[in-house]
Amino acid sequence: MLKWKDRGTTKNLQEVVLGRCYNYITAQHPELGDKDCLKIWESLKDAFIYKNPCNITPEDYQPLMELASHPIPCNKSLFWSKTGDLVHRYTKSNQNFLTLEDTLLGYMADRISWCGDPSAPGINYESCPKRNECESNPSSVFWKMASKMFAEAACGVVQVMLNGSVEAGAFRSSSIFGSVEIFNLNPDKVSEVHIWLMQDIGGPQSESCSGHSIQRLISILEERNFKIICEDNYRPVQLLQCVHNPDHTDCRLCTNSTAIL
Amino acid sequence: MMMNHFFPLLFVSVLCMNSFTGVQGKKWKGEGTTQNLESIVIGRCYDYIRIVNPSVGEKNCSQIWEAFKNAFINKDPCSILPEDYELFINLTFHTIPPNKSLFWENNQLLVNSFADRGRRYMSLGDTLFGFVGDFLNWCGQADSPGLDYESCPTTTECENNAVESFWRMLSIIYAKHSSGVIHVLLNGSAAGGAYPQPGFFADYEIPNLQKDKISQIVIWVVDDIEGPDIDSCGAHSVKTLETRLTALGYDVTCTDNDKSVMFLLCLDNPDHSKCAIASSAPAAQRGPISSDRGGSWNKLMFVSFAGFLFRFALVY
Repeated sequence: MLKWKDRGTTKNLQEVVLGRCYNYITAQHPELGDKDCLKIWESLKDAFIYKNPCNITPEDYQPLMELASHPIPCNKSLFWSKTGDLVHRYTKSNQNFLTLEDTLLGYMADRISWCGDPSAPGINYESCPKRNECESNPSSVFWKMASKMFAEAACGVVQVMLNGSVEAGAFRSSSIFGSVEIFNLNPDKVSEVHIWLMQDIGGPQSESCSGHSIQRLISILEERNFKIICEDNYRPVQLLQCVHNPDHTDCRLCTNSTAIL
Repeated sequence: MMMNHFFPLLFVSVLCMNSFTGVQGKKWKGEGTTQNLESIVIGRCYDYIRIVNPSVGEKNCSQIWEAFKNAFINKDPCSILPEDYELFINLTFHTIPPNKSLFWENNQLLVNSFADRGRRYMSLGDTLFGFVGDFLNWCGQADSPGLDYESCPTTTECENNAVESFWRMLSIIYAKHSSGVIHVLLNGSAAGGAYPQPGFFADYEIPNLQKDKISQIVIWVVDDIEGPDIDSCGAHSVKTLETRLTALGYDVTCTDNDKSVMFLLCLDNPDHSKCAIASSAPAAQRGPISSDRGGSWNKLMFVSFAGFLFRFALVY
């Protein structure tokens, strides 16, 4: 078995993936009742089992992508970069938006890992390649493909939650959002892009809508004919941040209608 | 020749249809067992021990499924008792960290969001034993090892049904093993009062709290944002609750509309006056930056300037 630097395949991968698939189509999204979870699991397994984990291609995942993909309602796609924790707490509390991890494909694959090996049993439970060891590893290829399809499926108004408290800038060309998703939005289907620029409560205010990296993002999107709206600290998400910082000055509730409106 | 057979056949098939879909219909009034129950339960079990909360250690999820199933299959679906889940509890049990217990009534979705999958609090649904059964439905039938996917008894039809007894057992265990400061989240807008009696908290949890392990009970009464303020601390059913807990010897505090929880409720109603945050820029300044900046900014400047001139003219 080859040795790598990242954690190995999640134990009981089959049970976890199958269970998540059935959970998703039965308990959460009965409209997807025609999905065959067993076939979906088999197609995931076939994508990587017994293969060298540095030689994975998009074609390996094509059957899985086709079996597991489903339409996304317009105006609900929510992209994100460097805001993983906050964005998923938000979609858990507010069913109006869907991140990739709220679709069947993303839901099954979230937070688990997998990779194969040419020797028996064909799955490596000890370790898997990190991105810097080889780019064409099972995880990187999966997420790149799933992200591309998620962007292609988006329609209407799309949203993106970015982090205005990271030093390296809210928008990075090297992120999946910056390198895959924005280039796969379809201008014939997507009308507007709404940017929610969130800063940590009490955190550094590294960037706002007028910042450099945001200006770069806006010009890339404008070139592709999208209308863009950027909002600093989009209120509903800020309210969620305040749940865990209720006493911070940024979270003082206006009382007795003294708000200037 | 064909016609001779046709009408009797038609008659018989209509009769058969009636007996399937007519008044007799389903055995019970409740929904049937959730499809793919076994895969979901086993999958959730492994998901929990591998991803959600690996600190609970190694568990045998196939064994756990068997214990769960054996609690109710091959029995009259109205004869299932909490004790029938004892083996299931033994196999799934893990300790609940002190100060993390969160009890609730009439606000399950809110609690799930608030508990943050066990990171802030560990509600019953965030324990392994609660996690595998949450939002699912199940029942068996007498004299058959199969699950009933057609229908299951509601609690009104019979109390000792598989799901009701499951949650009663789990509530008892959860209460017994809670320690430190415990929190109770109640819905101040619920018809019938924030502290329901009968109810799980009243009948299965309070009687099983271990007084020597609990340092304080913190009650939060939260109204729906648009909801009526039916109950609050010191009033009606909440007063009944406070009195009961104090009489049992607990140190009790109660807060109305705790800020943290309010913010969570505000997510669905961010523009409500109760949800206005002081730090949000006033509407005039906040205006989003939009991409056809040239056009709309110029317009904004013009309008502002015109407005200013107008006011200036009015004053002087």
